[in-house]
Amino acid sequence: MEEIEKTLTKEQALIEAERCLYCYDAPCEKACPAHVPIPEFIQSIRSGDLRGGREIIEEAHPLIESCGRICPEESFCQSACTRAQIDSPIKIRELHRYITDHTDPAENLELPPANKGKIAIIGGGPAGLACARELRRMGYEPVVFEKKQLGGVPAQEISPTRFPREIEQKEVKFLHQYFITDVKDGKVKSLSDIKGDYKAIFIATGLINELDLDIPGVSLSGVHHAREILRRVKAGNNSGLGKRIGVIGGGNVAVEVASVLMLEDPKRDVEVIYRRGLKELKAFKKEIEEAIDVGVTFQFLAIPKEIKGENGKVSGIVVTRAHLGEPDESGRRHPEPIPNSNFFIPLSDVVIAIGQKASDFFPEVEKDRKGLIKVNDDMMTSVKGVFAGGDIVRGASTVVESVADGKKAAKAIVKFLEGGE
Amino acid sequence: MYKKKDLSIDFLGIHLDSPFVLSAAPPTDELEIAYNGLKAGWAGVILKTTSVEGNPVELKYPMMSSFGPMHKKVVGLGNIDLISAYHIDEVERRVKALKKAFPNKMIAASIMGATKEQWQTLVWRLKKAGADLIECSFSCPQGSMGEEPGKMLAQSVEATEKVTRWVKEAAGDTPVLIKITPQVTDIVEVAKAVKRGGADGITASNTVPSLLGIDIKTFEPYPNVFGKGAYSGLSGPAIKPLTLRTIAEIAKNVDIVISGNGGAFNWRDAVEFMAVGASNVQFCTLPMHYGFRTIRDLKDGLAHYLMDMGFNSPMDIVGKALPNIEPQEELPAPITKAEINEDKCIGCGLCYAACSDGGHLAIEWDSNKRRPHVNEDKCVGCAMCMQVCPVDAIRMKEKIDGQLHYFVEER
Repeated sequence: MEEIEKTLTKEQALIEAERCLYCYDAPCEKACPAHVPIPEFIQSIRSGDLRGGREIIEEAHPLIESCGRICPEESFCQSACTRAQIDSPIKIRELHRYITDHTDPAENLELPPANKGKIAIIGGGPAGLACARELRRMGYEPVVFEKKQLGGVPAQEISPTRFPREIEQKEVKFLHQYFITDVKDGKVKSLSDIKGDYKAIFIATGLINELDLDIPGVSLSGVHHAREILRRVKAGNNSGLGKRIGVIGGGNVAVEVASVLMLEDPKRDVEVIYRRGLKELKAFKKEIEEAIDVGVTFQFLAIPKEIKGENGKVSGIVVTRAHLGEPDESGRRHPEPIPNSNFFIPLSDVVIAIGQKASDFFPEVEKDRKGLIKVNDDMMTSVKGVFAGGDIVRGASTVVESVADGKKAAKAIVKFLEGGE
Repeated sequence: MYKKKDLSIDFLGIHLDSPFVLSAAPPTDELEIAYNGLKAGWAGVILKTTSVEGNPVELKYPMMSSFGPMHKKVVGLGNIDLISAYHIDEVERRVKALKKAFPNKMIAASIMGATKEQWQTLVWRLKKAGADLIECSFSCPQGSMGEEPGKMLAQSVEATEKVTRWVKEAAGDTPVLIKITPQVTDIVEVAKAVKRGGADGITASNTVPSLLGIDIKTFEPYPNVFGKGAYSGLSGPAIKPLTLRTIAEIAKNVDIVISGNGGAFNWRDAVEFMAVGASNVQFCTLPMHYGFRTIRDLKDGLAHYLMDMGFNSPMDIVGKALPNIEPQEELPAPITKAEINEDKCIGCGLCYAACSDGGHLAIEWDSNKRRPHVNEDKCVGCAMCMQVCPVDAIRMKEKIDGQLHYFVEER
């Protein structure tokens, strides 16, 4: 599967860079959770020093290949762009990608000796990698515990049409080579599983488990979990699914898996079945547009009731038609079932993409009612010296927010160990 | 479909249907191209400079290069062109052909010679061929064929006067324009020499000697002629302010008709040239870039401007700005402060950056509201903030004895 979005041409990049006003106290930079100095790297495009541009971004953001591709810019930097008040915001993410696509990771690194002690980082996703890199830059020896592969969700689950494997590997390999002292693949379920002399611990496991649909028929053969399918496809394997697929959910994962399955076999029917309407979809606008482009269809206002099967295998789904009522606690209008409106959709497979949940790992630290780890302003958990960040603290979020957590945690860890600010 | 305003003027006794003519340059170096220009609606052509036999023209290609930011490559256009490679016999034929095809357009010729005989022969032959006007290039920056090789004729006051006299002797009642260079110590002295020599007018001014650029990897200059390069004559929007000053300086000090040339890229530029004393305006880089079709906007824009301003003729503009141009020491001394229009401000902070690092620390910045604020105690009114504002939200408020005046730049 080929990447859908094309990198900007030199002419497009220069015209776009020229549009940037180079704001003082730039609002885009403030709106970026990782605080990438955006006007500075755009200036380097204007001047023709793309390597300088990469150095500027890398300083602030360890996962710069992913963010140039998958960052939901409309939620962050671009939402704050001053230029929007004149015409339209600068295509910041695409300029970022223009730099990363035309440069290699900067290997002219100048790092202090790694002699300040080992820090255990549980989870090799964006938060863990960002924390590891910051710690290494400050003279510590980060040891990452990861039972799958480094890179986390972007590496393992994001569609190769949006984030190709080789690009993701280039990024992770570079981080591994220069910033991580050791990678251990031991499975860590509690603090007591972490054996060794570590000065502090950073938990960044992300959300491992997927939520299950609470309706009859979920154990039939042909019912799948979305992230499992994404991991399979990203690893280069066939999804193994049939010709008429229903994807249940309305978030990014639902829309993403639908697109991937459609691209895998354009002769298929892939329908996203969602209990609310188009306006309530939680997926990013760009992903929805891409899904529609590749031929994904949407069944809105449809509440799943029962997955039907024949001989233990999925044959379809019964849904109830809904209408939207008053807004619920999420701020979106609540779907209310319309009586006697059940209907049947014939399907070969059902993919469940209704969200993910925290694991019951790390019972030692305090958690909220959703099982997310509680931290203070310094990202420290209820256990002294144990820090946490990323999705396991925030719930499902973005790469750049996890990176911001990892950076913040690293500073907090150093402050905890060395005192001062 | 639309009633058109009469833009015609009398230029040195020649009828021009608008003030816009094609200058002596590539657009007038082929009969067919010059013909197309006149057909498209330009008021006249000055055929590319011709010389006499015995002065072979060795053009080198490529000859054009340019500079400017990516989306606007040609802010300045450079050329290492020389005079026309066509023989005077051919240029004579063209004058005749064009005059026949376009009896109501100005068909002018441009000449360059070395000796008195050459100059006068050229004038005599072109006059006989029916040229409405003779323009003399005293200023081709790319190697002169004047009497001192390497130096432009118009850089010598004495030579300018002497050669002008030769030309005018031969031209008789045919109007003569002397095309000068802005690259001189005192443009007024040169203009006075032209006047003393008896020319009817001055073309102000030719391209500006320049070096367009250097390839920073090979260290070869632009334009790159097989690894080598020469200085170019610079034209286009980049030189407009230089030309404006040249025209104004001549107009303020010498009583002579001026044909404006060098950097006008639209009708607004042309109006400015005329406002400082030009009676018509020559174009070259604009049609070379976008084609002869650009004449429509030039004429329409000028017509609508004249109507809006209540002027009857383009000639009403000529010299209008001159009384307002004074030496710096003669200017009034108002108390000036920057005034920011909060409704227009988009909060980019560029005025703050400019005032902080290149002004007087007179603009304060509210980081939360993203709004600048002028501290009038510190503001001296330099207007740097106004230059960097991308939405023209800043103007300068000038005050003398309770009387108010504003500096705004119309774009």
